[in-house]
Parts: sequence; structure tokens; C-alpha cells
Amino acid sequence: MAKVSDQLKRPFSYTYNVVVLVLLLIFVSLPKVNRMSARIVARRLGSKLLHRFAPAATLHSHATSFGFKEVNEEEKSQLVGNVFTKVASNYDIMNDLMSGGLHRLWKDRLVSKLSPFPGMKHLDVAGGTGDVAFRILESINSVSRRATEDTLEDDLQEETQIYVCDINPNMLNVGKKRAQERGLGDLGSLVWVEGDAEKLTFKDDSMDGYTIAFGIRNVTHIEKVLAEAYRVLKKGGRFLCLELSHVDTPVFKQLYDYYSFSVIPVLGELVAGDRDSYQYLVESVRRFPPQEVFASMIADAGFQKVEYENLVGGVVAIHSGVKI
Amino acid sequence: MMQRGRRLFQFSYYSYSFLRGKSNPSCSSSLIRTPFRFLSSNNPVDVDTSASSSSFIHHQHTTTDTSGGFNYQQQQARLLQASLNHVIRLGWTEAAMIAAARDLALSPSIVGSISSSSSSSPSAAAALVEYFMDQCLQNLIHIIQDSGDLQDLPPSHRISNLIKLRLQMQAPYISNWPQALSIQAQPSNISTSFKQRAMLVDEFLNASYNEQPTAPDWYLKRTIVAGIYSTTELYMLTDNSTDFEDTWIFLNERVRDAFDLEKTFQEVKYFAEAVGAGFQGFKNKGGY
Repeated sequence: MAKVSDQLKRPFSYTYNVVVLVLLLIFVSLPKVNRMSARIVARRLGSKLLHRFAPAATLHSHATSFGFKEVNEEEKSQLVGNVFTKVASNYDIMNDLMSGGLHRLWKDRLVSKLSPFPGMKHLDVAGGTGDVAFRILESINSVSRRATEDTLEDDLQEETQIYVCDINPNMLNVGKKRAQERGLGDLGSLVWVEGDAEKLTFKDDSMDGYTIAFGIRNVTHIEKVLAEAYRVLKKGGRFLCLELSHVDTPVFKQLYDYYSFSVIPVLGELVAGDRDSYQYLVESVRRFPPQEVFASMIADAGFQKVEYENLVGGVVAIHSGVKI
Repeated sequence: MMQRGRRLFQFSYYSYSFLRGKSNPSCSSSLIRTPFRFLSSNNPVDVDTSASSSSFIHHQHTTTDTSGGFNYQQQQARLLQASLNHVIRLGWTEAAMIAAARDLALSPSIVGSISSSSSSSPSAAAALVEYFMDQCLQNLIHIIQDSGDLQDLPPSHRISNLIKLRLQMQAPYISNWPQALSIQAQPSNISTSFKQRAMLVDEFLNASYNEQPTAPDWYLKRTIVAGIYSTTELYMLTDNSTDFEDTWIFLNERVRDAFDLEKTFQEVKYFAEAVGAGFQGFKNKGGY
């Protein structure tokens, strides 16, 4: 609870408040578009049929989804790379605007579920700008924790290592800058690594924890990422995944769809000057497997005690599993 | 005005919880508590029967991967058992569990995944206390089944002996027991601890009485025995005598008082009946 109040005490800028008000006005005044849901359904059916009748021309590479488009696998990582190169500088502002500041609370919840401890070796994948890593480090180093600590743990504090892995060097650079601003830049505990989530360079059984926040829907092969996570974790290590997910409650679903498809790309255009990246974002959320399916994929990778928790009625879900 | 204010407060509280994703307080006991949750290794699949109801409550998948090693439930039980060795030094906290995880060559991250049965969010310390209470109850049941000499004593002595046996299991941890009691008293844990104590008191009384009590008697006896148990437990916290002798003297006196009270109620009943009969006779004779 202390962390939430700390977040709230930080002053929000005046311009942020004005932009939020403008967004609300847009949201209320534009007419509701019913065609949207029909279009989504048609696209989903269309892509299902495409999978069945894919031409034999694509012999070695399989088709995968980039939003609602179908692309080759090699292309997908390149396209995703382009998206994040473009959004890296505005990534955090856009997160704040799109979620109304809620993403901070979601990441707080993820870290409190993780229950970090001193001496932990943790890997945060696709965590380019470092949000989750900073929270973990601050939770371990927090004053309230130090007050109740055993002397043994003080020594272990030195051994804490948080690895931040991201495929995109621009995102990592933004993260390193933010670390400096927060005063965490010179600690040896944060290690920035450029790498692919599907082929991690870490040894087997080396990590106590693995988190991936809003990254797993961008990968080409989800199963490979889960298998790598399983490989890299120690016995007893935990896998946690924070991701935008599917909403099922009737009225809220319509509101959420409207917000996603009408407001977010417009926001992307206004603030970041890039409508397509944010169109990709909302489409990739719809293409990602729903909560139950993803949970069964995690269980198939070998994890036990697989659970998920819906936040904001399913807009975001935290999936967790333990390697035994 | 007050109504509006209260409704506004309730609305803002529930919308905040909705956004934060905390489970709705009215359905917080969604995880059904089965007795000896941690100790039953022949039931590895834990099914959450409220799975499809609401999106606030989290959902569970458990696999029974017993190929070669232990599965999650078994590891959890091993971890909790090993944690008890560290409780004396480190208290009923996550630190004790982290130390135990290191002993078992497991990553201490597993401590973050342990949840007690009454809260949907992980709470390792509460799970540890719950495990200890379950284990003590199981030990007590074994002792009752094994010992035959308990049958020869009158009920008051039987109850007294059983309570003493049970409290002696807590004796090694007595320096930290206040912390365990405070954990049990927390709002999120109180339903579990209440159920565990109710089961314990059931056990005391089933072992002491052989006849089937009638309903009002049942509640009354259980309330009285629960009261005796709790007060003795609290007395034990500040008892410095050797082998807790003062506590056992206190216990015997309380049990005697309770049985005396029962006798007193009986006598009052007979007296009332006698007076009533006298009045009847008086009226029948025409009354003088």
C-alpha cells in the first residue's frame, strides 16, 4: 500500500490533466460506431479461413499475425522492431495517456505478487524502459524492508541482480536514461541486456524470477518464449506475465472496444504522430489468446500452479506459474 | 444527505476496487477451505469451484506432474514443514520461509506463490500459521486414536488432558506465539482460524463425551470449551513457571468451574421444578 501512495504523491503535470479532459470530451461527443464489432468478427473469421487454405508457396515460413494483417514470421519481428523504434521516445507518455495512469498500478500489483527478496536474480524480458525492474529494485531496497531485516539479508542485498532484456536497443537506451534519473544508474544491480525472448543468452536454472510486462503479445512464437522462460528459471522460480487481455462483461466490452479502436489510434496520431503503431497495438491485443487459453499454454510449457488474475474486468491479466 | 454521502463513498470504494482488481469483499471466501489443505498429499488437484463466476476472483489451473519429482502441493508441504524449524529464530514471517526454501534447494521465489485458503492474494505467513494449526490438530487426532487410557477418566479430566496435550505442542514456539495469534486475528485470516479452532474444539468434545448431545447443549458445550482453551492459551503466553505448571493449574480450575456451572444449572432447574410443583399443590388444595 505504501507504494501506491508514493505514486500518487508525485505531482501530475498540468498539461497531462488538460489532455485527459480533452480525451473525455472526444470520448463523449463522437457517435457510437456499431460497424466496428462486425468488422472485427469478419476479420477474425477471415484470418481463420486463411490459416486453413494457406497457399503452398510459403514453404518454410509460416504465416503469423501482425495485428489483423497476416505476415511471414521473419517479417513480424522486423515489423515489431520498427514499431518500437518509432514509439520508444514517447512510450511512457503514451502509456500514461492510454491507460489514464492505471498502468502504474498494474505494474505495482505485478511486483507485489512477485514478492521480491534480497539476493534475488531476476529477469525482466521486454522490459525496455525499465518500469518493472525499477519497481523490483526499489521494493528490495526500501526502507521499510530494511528495518525488519535480518543481518544475513543485508549481505545478500549486494547480490541482487535484475537483468532487463529487450530486443530493441532504442527502448534499452530510454531505460538506461531513466535509471540515471531515478538514481539507480550506478548500482551494479541493474544489468541491461539486448536479446531475443525466444533465444535467451542466460544459463539454465539461473533465475529466481521472470517477468514479462506487455511484451508477450509482440513475440512471434509464444510457446518458444514460454519454453525459454522455463529453461532459465531455477526450481521454485516464478513466471509472471502482465498483458492486455480479453474482456467478456457485456456493456464494458463495447465501451472498451470503442475506446480501443476509436480513441487510441487518434491519440497516437496527436501525441506521437504515429497512428499505425497504435493501430497495431490494439489489433495485437485482440489477436492474443484469451486468459484460459494462455493459461493452458503456460501449463503446457511445464509450469505448475498456473493462475491468472483479471484487473479492470479483464482489460489486463496477470498470469503466474511456478517451475517445480 | 448522509445517505447520498454513504452511497457515494460505497460507489467510489467499489469502483476503486474494480480498477485495482481486488476481489469483492462479499465473495472473498470463494476458495473453499478443505480440512488439512496442506497435508493431504493424495489430493493434488485443487479445483476452484467458483471458477466461472466473476472476473474479480482469480482462476486456477493445477497440473499433477508427478513424473519423478514432487508436484507443487508436495513441495509446498515440505516447505511449510521446513519453515517451522526457522520460526523460533525468525518468527512467523516470510523470512523464515525464505530460509527454509534455501535449505530445500528451492528458489525463495516460491514463497511468493503460497497463498492461504481464505485470501486470494499470496500471504505466506498466514499459510504457515494455518499449516501449523492443521498439523497440531492431526497430531492430536493420532494421539487420541492411539491412547486407550483416556476412556477411564471422567469427562472433566479428559477435556483437561486433551487441552494440555494440545497446548504442549505449542510450547516450543511460545516466544513467537503472540505473533501467530495476531496473524490469525487479521480480518483476512479470521475465517480460517475460526474454522480451525471450531474443528479443534469438536475434537476435544468428541473424544470426551460418548453420547450424542442435543442441539442447544452442543453449542453451549463448544462455546464453553472454546472459551477455556482460548483463555488458557493466553495465560500460557505470560507464564514463566517451569514446564508451564501454573498454566495447568489454571486450566484445571477453569474446567472445574465449567463443570460446577453445569451442576449449578442442573440444581437451579430442579429447584425451579420443585417450587413449581409446590405451587401447583398449593393451588389444588384450594390455597391458604
